[in-house]
Amino acid sequence: MLDPKVTRELRGIVGEKNYLDTPEDLMNYSYDGYVPESKPDAVLFPVSTQQVSDIMKVAYREEIPVTPRGAGTNICGGSVPMRGGIVLAFTRMNRILEINKEDRLAVVEPGVINAELQAEVEARGLFYPPDPASMSVCTIAGNVALNAGGPRGVKYGVTRDYILGLTVVLPDGQIIHVGGRTAKNVTGIDLVSLFTGSEGTLGLITEITCKLLPKPEAKQTMQAIFNDLDLAGKAVAKIMGEGMLPVALELMDSVVVNLVEDSAHVGLPREAEGVLLIMMDGPRESVKREVEIIAQLCRNQGATEVRVAKNQEEEDALWFARRSAFGVMARSRPNCIVEDVTVPVSKVPAMIREIVSIARTYNVVIGVLAHAGDGNMHPLLLTDQRETEEWERAQSAIRDIVLKAAELGGTLSGEHGIGMAKAEFLDLVMDTETLQFMGVIKRAVDPKGILNPGKFL
Amino acid sequence: MTERVSLSDITTENLYHCNKCGLCLQACPVYKELLVESASPRGKVQLCKHVLEGDMDLSEKTNAILFSQCLLCGSCTVACPSGVHQDVLFSGLRWRATQHYGIDWSKKLLFKTLSTPWIMHGSTWFARWARKIFGGSWIESKIKLGNLPMDGIPPFNAKPFNGEVTEIVKPDGTPKARVLYFHGCATNYVFGDIGRAVVTVLNRMGVEVVIPRDQGCCGLPIFLSGDRATSLKCIQETLKLFAREDVDAVVVDCATCGSALKKEYPQILRELRDLGEDIEEKLVRDAELLASKTVDVSEYIGDHMDWLPTLSATGGSRIRVTYHDPCHLLKGQSVGLQPRRILRALPNVDFIEMGGPDTCCGGGGEFQIECPETSAAITNRKIRNIHRSGAGIVATGCPGCNVTIRSHMDKNKEIKVFHTAQLVAMALENHDLVS
Repeated sequence: MLDPKVTRELRGIVGEKNYLDTPEDLMNYSYDGYVPESKPDAVLFPVSTQQVSDIMKVAYREEIPVTPRGAGTNICGGSVPMRGGIVLAFTRMNRILEINKEDRLAVVEPGVINAELQAEVEARGLFYPPDPASMSVCTIAGNVALNAGGPRGVKYGVTRDYILGLTVVLPDGQIIHVGGRTAKNVTGIDLVSLFTGSEGTLGLITEITCKLLPKPEAKQTMQAIFNDLDLAGKAVAKIMGEGMLPVALELMDSVVVNLVEDSAHVGLPREAEGVLLIMMDGPRESVKREVEIIAQLCRNQGATEVRVAKNQEEEDALWFARRSAFGVMARSRPNCIVEDVTVPVSKVPAMIREIVSIARTYNVVIGVLAHAGDGNMHPLLLTDQRETEEWERAQSAIRDIVLKAAELGGTLSGEHGIGMAKAEFLDLVMDTETLQFMGVIKRAVDPKGILNPGKFL
Repeated sequence: MTERVSLSDITTENLYHCNKCGLCLQACPVYKELLVESASPRGKVQLCKHVLEGDMDLSEKTNAILFSQCLLCGSCTVACPSGVHQDVLFSGLRWRATQHYGIDWSKKLLFKTLSTPWIMHGSTWFARWARKIFGGSWIESKIKLGNLPMDGIPPFNAKPFNGEVTEIVKPDGTPKARVLYFHGCATNYVFGDIGRAVVTVLNRMGVEVVIPRDQGCCGLPIFLSGDRATSLKCIQETLKLFAREDVDAVVVDCATCGSALKKEYPQILRELRDLGEDIEEKLVRDAELLASKTVDVSEYIGDHMDWLPTLSATGGSRIRVTYHDPCHLLKGQSVGLQPRRILRALPNVDFIEMGGPDTCCGGGGEFQIECPETSAAITNRKIRNIHRSGAGIVATGCPGCNVTIRSHMDKNKEIKVFHTAQLVAMALENHDLVS
């Protein structure tokens, strides 16, 4: 419960309409796409950097926990207010302030939706590559806070690669500006990188300057089918090893293929053990040439069938199976947990083998999806939170998957973040000194520990 | 309130499939305006879950959220990757809320009127008379019914449609098919032109049309408002007249009525039966029979284009036509291809897709009257997209969308709104669409 005097002060900053504290609203801001829930004491919708700063001055003085939130689509518990306090919801601070063709950049407020920015810049012949699966809903500041990726990450990288500058409100309410408007910028410590991926533990992002690319002229998708999952994994390593640079290189295993076929009948062969979906983009001629090279590489690696999309319709048909995969999996059981461990590309076949064997050990249904081209695995675990024993088995399977990824030189999360979901595993991939160094930064920036407490920092 | 609220086991179990992924947020027209979690489908599903689990009350605030922050447009149900049936869940909770908080007198009166054909007849006669005596366009232009400007609401038919048309309309020669025509209240009392167009088109396609004279309200608007007891009466009456083995199809000209007959009736009856209401098995079987026979008129025409006489341009100028997908047609019945197929085939028509053709018009029945501000914001997006398309005609398949769109169109642009079937009828009669 917040002190009535503080409540009055906060209401004064954001106005009645942007201050919520009914039991229904508090429940509605107790969760995100992850499992645990915890209610805040108030939900505030700031609409300007100054308001955010004013709120933080009060929160800092009164030592009230503050948890920032975009659309709440993350699946690591990053926006769950574990210690109560204030949820700062940025959904109403959502204007695109500038799109500049010459400087190839866009300046946006935190609550702008990823897909809306993409549509606006593409209408001007420009391109913003980061494409998380939730792009139709998730916000740019949320993407920055979690350094979100997406299927296009193989060629284009992640959100961090497209952030030029940020306006950040610090825990005590000070406003700072990091980075700038230039593609090159080595002035001082790279503070943009410090805040990108900090999951709301260091500062509140209130304005973002994004780097844009020219929109590629052409793109083409192909599908390669393998009767052996291991061969599919090896084909991935081969394609990357031969110097090809696909936009996306996705993998699906037979669990996913069969569930997709059960519900959507897209014509995938049920005996397929591994299906690769590969997209190329660039100038028309080079796309054509590279598609041929990759098709040949896949055949040489033992693909039983390679289909190349000839038009947009066929393109959509090929992607349909991949896009419906999550839904098809999610429909079959109450809970569908999406794991996110990432390994070096050469270790993809080994990681796949481990996941299949872990599924057998714990008797858990696991479908393997992967942004295989960058080693980002998305095993989907099907379970039911209400069945305690089964839930425990699923948790054990996750633990083993994480341990194996670490053993193979991989990391805990490729693009979903640590939040609460992976906090306990941090020491698997970070030595004590590195962990302590993160703590040093956290204490220096947020000495009272009020920003997004109860998470990995 | 403190008593435990329950819904059927199937509905309750289904909500546990919500992974809280949030992908429904972008699909919800109300969320997109209010940008607050309680307005989002995910938020409402979580709220329902806590109410059904008994750790939150079905409070007045929850009651308000269920009614004033949801159009029951079904967009979330279509968008949900996990297969949660939010539409069934929310209308179920509305029902429980209504049982507890009651229905206000004006809605009660409206539902009583809708569900009793002779009262409905009398009221429209009275309304016509009253409008003539007290109305007048000047006064009407100053009055608004919620978000709906009074002068945008079309006048009532001089005579109810089912009183002017013969009960059986036979085509020349041997009929290709025999169909029952469910015309809904809107056609019966307001859009008589649509009814005449439907009969003309089906007749020219070589189809025998049977129009049961005693048909009344499908019950869906009443049902969606939570008054299931009254809506049950409508369902029973409709099944008595329309659940027939001896016809090829039941053709419906209203998206909402169509989704009721095709989708909702069996679902509603089963849910009521599961909860211990006295629902006979025969009634459920009749509902399933009717559901299997029901087709929207645009779906029927579009699937039998070869039955239409050749449509050829006989002079006249070309006109740009766009199409608005009614939620209850696209999301409720998965009908979107056929109306477009029809429009593309019409002579002198340049079909153009507007931006966001499948986004809600903001009407949502009583929603626009009870939540004028949110409704207006959603409607304005739709109107902007229509104006941007440069179309001179908007075709759609729902009388509700029809009224909402025509009432908000820029009066100076003279854009007309028609039912898809009306455009076909005009083409058959060589009517110049531009005039």
